[in-house]
Amino acid sequence: MTTSVAISVRGDGALADAVRSALLMTVPADTAAVIVPRVPEPAPLAELTDEHLAAEVGDALDAVLADVQAALPVARLVFVLPADPVMGISGGAAASAVTNAVLSMARTLAIELARDGTSVNVLAVGSTTALQAQLAALLGEGGRDITGQEVYLTGGTDLGRVHP
Amino acid sequence: MIALVTGGAGGIGRGICARLVADGYTVIAADLSRSDVRDTEPQVLDVADPDSRRAAVARADELGGVDLLVNCAGALQDARITKLEPAVFRRLMEINLLGPLALTRLVAVGMAARGRGSIVNIASRAWLGTFGSTAYSTAKGGLVGATRSLALELGRCGITVNAVAPGFVDTPMTEGLPAEIRRRTLAAIPVGRAGTPEDVADAVAFLAGAGYVTGQVLVACGGRSIGDPYAV
Repeated sequence: MTTSVAISVRGDGALADAVRSALLMTVPADTAAVIVPRVPEPAPLAELTDEHLAAEVGDALDAVLADVQAALPVARLVFVLPADPVMGISGGAAASAVTNAVLSMARTLAIELARDGTSVNVLAVGSTTALQAQLAALLGEGGRDITGQEVYLTGGTDLGRVHP
Repeated sequence: MIALVTGGAGGIGRGICARLVADGYTVIAADLSRSDVRDTEPQVLDVADPDSRRAAVARADELGGVDLLVNCAGALQDARITKLEPAVFRRLMEINLLGPLALTRLVAVGMAARGRGSIVNIASRAWLGTFGSTAYSTAKGGLVGATRSLALELGRCGITVNAVAPGFVDTPMTEGLPAEIRRRTLAAIPVGRAGTPEDVADAVAFLAGAGYVTGQVLVACGGRSIGDPYAV
């Protein structure tokens, strides 16, 4: 017997539309949630006022926590982040704070939720061409035992750099 | 040389202050309570409070401006993800991430004008993930990410930005750990002992003076991060 399972997409990050398009063709093997956090626009340090940090970093991370808690319990959890601020970019301190905060959240959740049978992974996206295939892999039958991984969909632009 | 050390009255912060005094810095030990480290300039600081941050930097400017900022103030409150209260999460972001970034903006102005400066962020091995510590891990990960981008942005201003990620360190904060958890934690540390505030201070002192090292995370964890952290 086959039962249909749901994928929820949460978060209003710039990659959310690309994620939804990619998921149109995806058949998940189990319940799944894909979280696409909102990431601040580039801004030099001088513009990161207290109010800016509270709204663009603090509120953005509050939203991620709310999305994660709303998604649980779930069998597959995937975070989709833009690769540039994950790696680091001049003028991207706030964006790197948010994306790397989510990266570490995912690492902790992968450890914590393993006993519940939940896998947690991160896709760091430079180009969206590989997004559909990677989501399908993580959400499909073969993705059950892949957890705590970070896949850079960059076409190699991150090679030779120290990853966070 | 002026060093502003937040969390300067805490377990690790006291060790950092003492080391920097010994290295010849004029050390402003900023914290909620008064630091008892000899030969430091005490300064009341709530790192989550904007007015308090501005007052601390103004004090440093009176002394000549901050050459070295050590963002050491932090707070830890464990909770599994399903039990994590949003207000606790936000509070930990404000203390461990937003406060340090706001302080960095304030001190970077003077550093850039003088064409030199060093910023050392005290992150945590929890940045790599740690059971039951979503909020703390998230905040410290954010601090590491910001460290990398700030290093790229501020390098040409003569400012280096690095992080130290301590593992298990004996401090008043860890004194209350149950004996069994402490035993298991120590068993997973390859060098076979807990870290000390002086171990962390060694890493800070190195990065403070290392002009060709920037955007890096120095993990001071006794090797735990390359072994199995849950080995018993």
